Parts: sequence; C-alpha cells; structure tokens
Amino acid sequence: MQSLIETLLKKFPEGVLSVDVDTARSEVTVHVAASRILEIARFLHDDPEACFDHITDICSADYPSDQQRFEVIYLLLSLPHGKRIRLKARITEDNPSLDSVTSIWRGAEFLEREVYDMMGIRFTGHPDLRRILLPEDYAEGYPLRKDFPTEGRGWRSQFDFIPRLDEPPVEQIESEVSEADRKVFLLEPNSSSSTRREELLLNMGPQHPSTHGVVRVVLELDGERIVKATPDLGYLHRGVEKLAEGLAYMQIIPHTDRLDYVCAMANNYAYVRAVEKLLDITVPERAEYIRTLVAEMQRILGHLFWLGAQALDIGAMTVFFWTFRERETLLDMFERLCGARLTLNYYRIGGVDSDFTPELVTCLKEFLETFPQKVDEYDSLLASNRIWLGRTKHIAVISGEDAINFGMTGPTLRGSGVSYDVRKLEPYGVYHKVDWDVPVGKNGDTYDRYWIRVEEMRQSARIISQCLDQMPPGPIIADIPQYIPPPKLQVMRDMESLIHHFVIFTQGFKPPKGETYCATEAPKGELGFFIISDGSPRPYRLKIRSPSFIHLGAFDHMARGYLISDIITIFGTYDVVMGECDR
Amino acid sequence: MIDWSHTALTIAVILGSCLTLAGMLIWVERRLLGVWQERYGPNRLGPGGCLQSLADMIKIFTKEDWIPPFADKAVFVITPAIVVITALMSFAVIPIAPNFVVADLNVGVLFFLAMSSLAAYSVIIGGWASNNKFAFLGSLRAIAQLLSYEVFMGISLMGAVILAGSFNLSDIVNAQQHQWFVIPQFLGFLGFFMAGLAEAHRTPFDMPEAEAELVAGYHSEYSGMKFGMFFVGEYLSILLLSAMTVILFFGGWHGPWLPPVVWFGLKMFGFIALIILIRAAWPRFRFDQLLSFGWKVVMPLALINLLVTGGVVLWRAG
Repeated sequence: MQSLIETLLKKFPEGVLSVDVDTARSEVTVHVAASRILEIARFLHDDPEACFDHITDICSADYPSDQQRFEVIYLLLSLPHGKRIRLKARITEDNPSLDSVTSIWRGAEFLEREVYDMMGIRFTGHPDLRRILLPEDYAEGYPLRKDFPTEGRGWRSQFDFIPRLDEPPVEQIESEVSEADRKVFLLEPNSSSSTRREELLLNMGPQHPSTHGVVRVVLELDGERIVKATPDLGYLHRGVEKLAEGLAYMQIIPHTDRLDYVCAMANNYAYVRAVEKLLDITVPERAEYIRTLVAEMQRILGHLFWLGAQALDIGAMTVFFWTFRERETLLDMFERLCGARLTLNYYRIGGVDSDFTPELVTCLKEFLETFPQKVDEYDSLLASNRIWLGRTKHIAVISGEDAINFGMTGPTLRGSGVSYDVRKLEPYGVYHKVDWDVPVGKNGDTYDRYWIRVEEMRQSARIISQCLDQMPPGPIIADIPQYIPPPKLQVMRDMESLIHHFVIFTQGFKPPKGETYCATEAPKGELGFFIISDGSPRPYRLKIRSPSFIHLGAFDHMARGYLISDIITIFGTYDVVMGECDR
Repeated sequence: MIDWSHTALTIAVILGSCLTLAGMLIWVERRLLGVWQERYGPNRLGPGGCLQSLADMIKIFTKEDWIPPFADKAVFVITPAIVVITALMSFAVIPIAPNFVVADLNVGVLFFLAMSSLAAYSVIIGGWASNNKFAFLGSLRAIAQLLSYEVFMGISLMGAVILAGSFNLSDIVNAQQHQWFVIPQFLGFLGFFMAGLAEAHRTPFDMPEAEAELVAGYHSEYSGMKFGMFFVGEYLSILLLSAMTVILFFGGWHGPWLPPVVWFGLKMFGFIALIILIRAAWPRFRFDQLLSFGWKVVMPLALINLLVTGGVVLWRAG
C-alpha cells in the first residue's frame, strides 16, 4: 500500500492533495483535486499494482460552513490484492459537478445517480443522470444536504392520492407511460426508421406479484424479447440515511431492522460492527460466537425465503411451502431469542442483548440434525428437474469481469466464479476459527447462483454446529461504561453506573471524531456502513451500501435479450429486498 | 315422449354433477395440495371444509362486477360465457355408463375436438377485449400454445380411434372391454394427456395465465363472477380432460365388481389427483421451451404412433 501511495504522489503531484493513513483501522484515504478525479480513478483501476476493479460505494457529505462545501467519497476495493481505498474530492456549492466515473466502473451509474438525487451533485459524462430514489418531479431540493429539514418541506401534502369515493369514476385511463417519458425507456429513442416497426413498452410493477416488493421496471419489448429494461426505484424510500443523522448511535439499530426486513439480524450486525470499529471496541469471545451463529441462522433464513420465492416464481409452489416449514422452526427460535419474528433486534454495540439459553441450544441442535436432509429434499424437487434446469441454466448470464465492474457482491458475484466473500477476505466474528468453504460457481447463470445459495445453507449449518461446540462461557457484552450501558442490576446499586446509564440514554455516547467503512457479508451480498463522526452523539453522515441497490444497477445488462418469463427469474436471482434497496 | 324425458333427465344429472364437481374440485385441489405441501388447506366450513367452494361462490357473486372503461364491452362480457359453454357442451358426448350419455353422436371425438377449439377463442378474444398489455401478451401466448397443442391432441387420439374403428365414444369404450387402449397406445396416451394439460392451462403448461410474470394472463382484467366463470371453466376442462383420458385409453366404465358409474368416477378421480400432483411437483415451462417441446417431441411421437398403429391395423386386416 505504501508503494502505491508513493506512486500516486509521484504520478499526480497536483492531483493528489494529501493522503491519510488510519493505521488503527487500516484505512487509506486519498484526497484528490476534483478536476483530476477521472484520471486518478482510471489509474487506480487499470494499474496492475493497484487494480481497484470493484467499486464498493459512492458517498457524499455536506459541510455547509466549508468553502468547498460538498465532498464526494469513492470507496474502492481491489479484489486481487484484497485492499480498500477511499478517494475524496471536494467541490464548491457554485459549481457542484464532477467527472463521472461510469466509463471505468459501470456500477457507478446508479451510485452517481443516487448522489445526484440526494446531494445535487452533477456528474458530467453520466449517460442517464436522473433522480433515482425520489420522483422525477420532486421539487424540494436535495434531502441529504444539511440545510434540508428532516421532516421535508411540505411537498408530500400536495400528492395526488387515489381518487376519493365522492369523485366521479375514472372513465378514461391514459397510457401509463407519457410521451415525454417514453424516450427515457427506449433503447434508440430517435431512430424511427429502425428495423423494428413498433416497440411495446410494458410497465412491470410497482404492483406486480413477482417483483419482490414495490419496484417498477419498464420493459421495451420486441415480441416477448427484452430490448431494454429500466428499473425505477424509490417506492419504498424512507430516508433512513437522513433520519439517522438525527438519532443517537444506539437509536439507529432498530432502523436497520427495516432495511432488509427478511434478514434483519444481518443488518443489525453490519451496523453494530461499523460502530464498534468507529469506537474501537473489542467484543467478548462468547458474544462473538453468538453473533456469528445468529448471523448464520439469519443467512439460512434469508436463503430459505429466497429459495421459496424463486421456486414459486418459476411455478414450483411446493418448494415454497417446504422452505417456509423450516423457516417457521427458525423463526420460533428467533422469537425465543429476542421476542420478535420479523424486525429482529438482538445485536447491541459491544455484544448482544441476551444470552443463549440451554433450551435454545437443544432446539438448534435438533434443527441442525434434520436440516441437511431438508436441503436435499428441496434439491430433489429442483436440481434434477429438467424444467427447472431449462428455466435456470444459461439464464441471466453475467461474466466475472462484468459482475465485478458492476460492483456486485455476495452469491450473485460468486455465481460468476469470483471467490469474494467478506467473511474470508476480512474475517470478523469467529469465521476464522471455524471450518467452512465458499461455494463458487462457473457459468454466472441463474442455476449457479441457485446452487451457491443452497450450498451456503449447508455451509451455514456447518458453521452453526461448530460454533455451538466451541462456544466458551463468559460475558456477552463488553464492559466499557462510557459507550455501553451497564446492566440494569448494576445501575440500581452503583452510582457511577447510574451516571453512565443516564448519560447514554439521555444524550447518547460521544464517539471520537473520524470516519470508517465496515463491510459485512449479508445474505444478499456485501452490506456496508460508512460512518462519518464529528464527535457528537449523532452520526454526521451514515451511508448504507446496500447490495440490492447495486445489483439492480446491472439489471438492464442482465435482462437484455431474454424473455419476459426470464425477468422474474432475474429478479429472483438477485434476491432483492426493496426495503434495503430504497432505504 | 319417454326418450325426451330420459334425455332431459340425463342432461340435468350431467349438468348438475359437472358444475358441482367443478366446484368441489377447487376444494379437492386445495386440500390435496395441502397434504403434499404439509399444510391444512381449507378445513373450516362443513366437514373437512368441503363447503368452502360454496362460500367462495357466494363471495364471488357479491363482488363488484367491474368492466374496465377501456375494454371492448360486448366481447368482454361474452368471453367468460364461451369458456363455460364450450366445456359443458363437450360433456354432452361423454358416455359415463352404458346408455348414460346425452348425445351419443357418431362423431363424438370430432365434436369434442371442435368444442375445445372453440374454447381457444375465449382466451384469445378475452385477452384482446381487455385492452391490457399483460392480458394481451397472455392471449398471444395462448394462441400459439392452444393452436399447437390442438394439433397434437387430435393426432395422438387418432390411434385409439383407428383401433376402435369408430368416432363414437361409446364404441371406443366398448372396444376396450378386454384390453385398455393405454397398452397399445401408450405414446398416444402420453401425447393426449400432455396436450390436454396444455389445453386446460395446467402446470407445467400454464403460461397463458402464468401469475408470476403476467399477473393473471388473459383474464387479468376480469373480476367478480366473470372471473369465477373462467375459474369454473378451468376446472371443468380438468374434469373433461380426465373423463376423455379415461374413455379413450383407460376403458371408460369397464371394471370388475363395481357398477360402471363408480368405476368411471374412480378412474377420473385418479387422473384429477395426478393433475394436481403435477401442479404440486413441477415448475412451469418457459413459453418458447413449451412450443419447442411440443413441436420437437410430442409431435413426432404422435405421428410415429399414428403411423405404426395405422400400419398394424392395415396389416392385420390384411
């Protein structure tokens, strides 16, 4: 890394303004001049020594009092070298524009659109710079700017809602895609003399049974063949990142449950780990075991849900009910663990909320005894079925290079033969202490991704049973009174604990000034939290890197040339959850 | 006079039992799926939940009967009727037991084929009249699927017709007194059954109404009892498919000890259960796969079957 920094400084003496190396968290930040961002990014991508081929996220921050008000942060990852780097560029309010890096990483297309949508920064050279999460006609400005009130500016009250009962019934329904919008969704908007005489625009969603949530995709069709697919996101946008800026660190945990509501624990874990990295807290060993174990239970749960949904989409409805049978058993265990079944909330900063009881361990062991056979059972209905093979083999193929270029992660990336798993690359929890494998596909088609997820369920079961065997006794939450509320019993007896408790719950704890990015392998892919702390009890900026959002960026690329029936397979194969995608 | 009352009685019995059975079939399907999917299915209303269909019917009759303003009203309204009428008309030629048939036509097989071709119109114009893109795509698929499988269906049942030497369904049943046609005509049976599944839009051939991709296909815009008619029509065609399979290949009412009607019913129920089991076990084909499967697999098999059957019959006749 040191040599890379020297090369950068030598090669771009005016471009690179300064380099921060955070040795404690092993994070490198390079401040670059806004005008040179494209050159430096291209160098980092192309240079074999650097080879930052994966764009993790693009984030923006607003510092109203600074002369150069906006900061755009590029989070890059080098898969061959297993290194991360951050590029930062500052721009002024008068001319908030930057060169687009979409020509280097195609995955940047959605990310830059999000930055434009939320912060109003323009990217010159971006192919399709429109709002992405907010509606196209949103008139209130850019919500993540610091001068934007959290409650909005009243635009919501002017919505046209569903016609009221006392209004006359609708007699004429207009075409759902207006003339002005049509050009956005067409592949060649201006060529009226193309070989196709007439194209059909099909609006799929937001109310469609198999889009896995409220998302709309406008398909340009040639017969049943897809010419262009344009995802339209944001129907479930709740502004979690803006809300988080007004909440104390502990209060954000329940909001993360609602991101990927199928795998709430995985979000808790990702967020809690990011805060711990910011605070530099070490978690007790027993808590680490419990966390890993619960995260893997959550992975099984998420994959079971995905398998059921994908099979149902393709018409195999029995698999759906069978997976829900096992899901039920797991959900009952979660209910015993934390009292909830959907919005699970169990992880705490520095540990977990409650201990694993012996009954729960027995329950889990019983479940693990039969679970591998159940997985074989699903496999027997699908993996040898010729219809299933015909529907999934060679469908939605994406090559390894493309998948990396689009910033994909998780099973979707591994299906294309790229063995990138955060749990192996940057082990956390106790993943380095247990024995497990990363299943990797070959063809990058839907079948490989199916196989990987089924295999991951088996691996998760392996991890869980090893964790259960190795779990040591001990505390389940770290003892750092200035950050972690002390146990209730102690609060009632000890004056100092009472003071800490009071301070944490009335004001929130104050982390050191700084910033950090922390990635976690969620069932859907790499779920990352980027936190900027200004030393106050609330995060200055919290950016969520949601895998679903980034995967949908490759939707058009993967859907072109396939049939309408394959669209639902593609939706299924990403395993998108719109709560996470739209945030 | 006696003839008249006999026919009227038969019509009443067959019509009544068909509609009741179609209704019951919805409940049977849901219960059987429940068994295979390890859940209950409807079990509240009546013994074992068997009155569920009645409740559904009351519900569906009291639903708002909405006709979309953009639809072609006349055609839109006629379509559901065509579905049910064509399915019921076919039952006129089905011999349930000796002399227990409404119209013992000497071209019964052709009448059945004609009616199932007419049923295809309902799907096509229903999708067209809805003026909705999803319905339109559903009916486009249906046109291709029904027209192709119509051909295979006709060809694959010809073997049974050749063996019996008659288009009359009662004659075909009587010709199977000693040996069911499924043995010499196994390929014909397979082809007919698959084509029948496609005609009835059942899994794995339920593309025209693939709910996951086309919402509900050609009947997306239908609601209330019009939707109910499509629904009943689908179950009627399952009944019809099972009945025709039993008649053409499984010896109709023939069987030892039990009365003919019971045998017919038992065999039919076996096929109904098989159709439901297929739905529980298999995913759905993709549309192009379905067509290439039809033209490249079913069609050649049916033709070879027809050719060999014809050859053998001619050789024996000598």
